[in-house]
Amino acid sequence: MTQWVRYTLPAAAIVSVASPAYAMQYLSIEEAQKQAFPSATHFAEVQAGRVWKAEAGGRVAGFFIFDRVIGKHLYIDYAVALTPSGAVHSVEILQYRESYGGEIRSPSWLAQFVGKNSGSSLKINGDIRNIAGATLSSTHITEGVKRVLAAYGNRLR
Amino acid sequence: MATASDKVRRARPLLGTFVEIEVAGMVKAEMNAAIDAAFEVVASVHRLMSFHEPDSDVSRLNREAWIRPVSVHAWTFEVLQAAVKMHRRSNGMFDISVAPALQAMGLLPQMNDDVPIDTKTRSFDAIELLEGQRVRFRQANVRIDLGGIAKGFAVDRAVEVLRGLGAASGLVNAGGDLAAFGGEPQTVHIRHPRDPRRLICSVEVTDEALASTARRFDPFQSADTASSAIIDPGSRKPASAVDGTTVRAPCCMIADALTKIVMIAGTEAAELLEHYNASALLISTDDDVQITPDWHHAGYLAA
Repeated sequence: MTQWVRYTLPAAAIVSVASPAYAMQYLSIEEAQKQAFPSATHFAEVQAGRVWKAEAGGRVAGFFIFDRVIGKHLYIDYAVALTPSGAVHSVEILQYRESYGGEIRSPSWLAQFVGKNSGSSLKINGDIRNIAGATLSSTHITEGVKRVLAAYGNRLR
Repeated sequence: MATASDKVRRARPLLGTFVEIEVAGMVKAEMNAAIDAAFEVVASVHRLMSFHEPDSDVSRLNREAWIRPVSVHAWTFEVLQAAVKMHRRSNGMFDISVAPALQAMGLLPQMNDDVPIDTKTRSFDAIELLEGQRVRFRQANVRIDLGGIAKGFAVDRAVEVLRGLGAASGLVNAGGDLAAFGGEPQTVHIRHPRDPRRLICSVEVTDEALASTARRFDPFQSADTASSAIIDPGSRKPASAVDGTTVRAPCCMIADALTKIVMIAGTEAAELLEHYNASALLISTDDDVQITPDWHHAGYLAA
């Protein structure tokens, strides 16, 4: 029968690796556009910084919408690609940020995120690339996509 | 050492969480195509095995399998086979038929027109697997949820797709259930279940899977953990043996399912872990961290 080994956590070591925040940059807006519409030759900005029309040889290939939702505490940047008829083609996360604990209640701590766009490289604890231990809910993204569809699904042509 | 441009890492909202996929060792367009294909396979698993989607295999089984045999997709059948095997081997501790208890807790929705089910009744070995990928429930009050195993299965399928398309190395992480293959080991940080600001340790993962489960915590509500979303089939109440666990195993489906057993059985799960060539770390309710002796084979604690 296997014996378990007891391991006592050294309190000091835990504090030193404490992770108040975690951020992951996946794709820039440009990369995500190309990814969603590989055949597109031009992305025409329909609404500044938010909506683009993907065009391929004079035809509309679809629409690309940049949006953000609040994750646990901080913004998650994501993009919804719509088909020319306004259906969801794909949803891609561009940047993920997350934080826990008392820091988030401090406005000065939050201020460092204001004005950051997906192009800025915001890396806190950049060496932490993979986190396990808690399932993160994507409910807010699902709600965001619904909102994007309600706002643009029938309006973009 | 690969540079950042040799790799592509992307994320999509799937399986109710964030699924991250990274590949390396191909030209960029190929890596993106491989990631697209891997996301697609994860979405397929979601469509087949979601409790929430009315057209999924799971929903069809819950509606009809107690009346007549229902045929399911080969993947659903494969997951059910693994679940039934683990149910028997764990003496009923792993049980995909605890859906009514999760419904009673509000963690799963009630289905339209479904009869209310007494959460106190329990049935051992309630799922019958038949020829031709058909499934029948032995009792009328059985409702299944594959939430404790399907995410791991989806990770395994995604890894298979990436390998099949020629990726030299990669990682698939579905909200903490992950698998890595090829290349250099991936470092994974494991959070403390009761205080997500604290990292317990980091683990090096290569050509194996890692799955974690903890008692639920919702930082919107409170920093404290609430009860577990894992039901002890014996008591039909949330498991309370340990606060959290991380299991490493050759494949993610098995790692995923074994976390549920460790949450219920605590250290008693040792034999079963050994049977599945798995090792585990668990955090008991009094903050003790315990590991199986082979946990260290590639990992180290408190980095």
